[in-house]
Amino acid sequence: MNTSLEAPRPSFLRKVALFGVLAVLGGAFGYAFATLADGVLTRWEDELAVIMAAAMIGFGVITALVVATRPSQIPRGCGVLQVVVMLLAGIMFLLPVFGSAWTTPEVVFGAVLLLLAVQSGANLMLWRNADEMLRRVMLETSALAFWAVQLGLFIYAAAERLGLIGTISGWGLMGVLMSVYFIASIVAGARRGLS
Amino acid sequence: MNNRLKVLRAERDWSQAELADQLGVSRQTVNALETGRYDPSLPLAFKIARVFGQPIESIFTED
Repeated sequence: MNTSLEAPRPSFLRKVALFGVLAVLGGAFGYAFATLADGVLTRWEDELAVIMAAAMIGFGVITALVVATRPSQIPRGCGVLQVVVMLLAGIMFLLPVFGSAWTTPEVVFGAVLLLLAVQSGANLMLWRNADEMLRRVMLETSALAFWAVQLGLFIYAAAERLGLIGTISGWGLMGVLMSVYFIASIVAGARRGLS
Repeated sequence: MNNRLKVLRAERDWSQAELADQLGVSRQTVNALETGRYDPSLPLAFKIARVFGQPIESIFTED
């Protein structure tokens, strides 16, 4: 007889172990980004991009750990795709900032386009594999992000047109958009009990 | 919308994962349905009714 009708909860030791792994990974990420960023990040747009990249790669790693240890926590057929989407998004935000230090801007741009194509394919597969609630969360994320971004963009554009504030680069606007989208996805997921 | 999903599932001694398998959704979706965080689409509501062998209106009620 099945005595537990809920999904099995992880043991205390497992939680501690997972926490330890995440702490080590967090430290490693922090050190790696601090080393990479030292002397390179002189604009707030790049700082924001690196923060977003760290957040997305961090979430990607956490999702990968959950997929490996508690696969039932992730909708079937979506775990690996979520990891791929998050990691590629993070890498795509890092390449324009750091890539030109290693190779020509044209090569970096080509790499970004290639990764974008792969990530778009993974996103499409994620949508197709998702069940109706996950699709609903994706739609609500998009709606919430669009509403917030268009509101903010209008206020900024009006102020910029009136000469009250300076111009923000496309790269900076992209970082802001991604930040808003990231927060919107957390809010939309939390409303449905996804964590 | 209120529902009796948790009670019906418990009566059959099914786990959330087992019910999710039968419905073709994730365990998170079953959890969200049971906790009232998500109202199902009509096709999913019909599927739930079929799985439990009961009419929709006996499973789902208005607030």
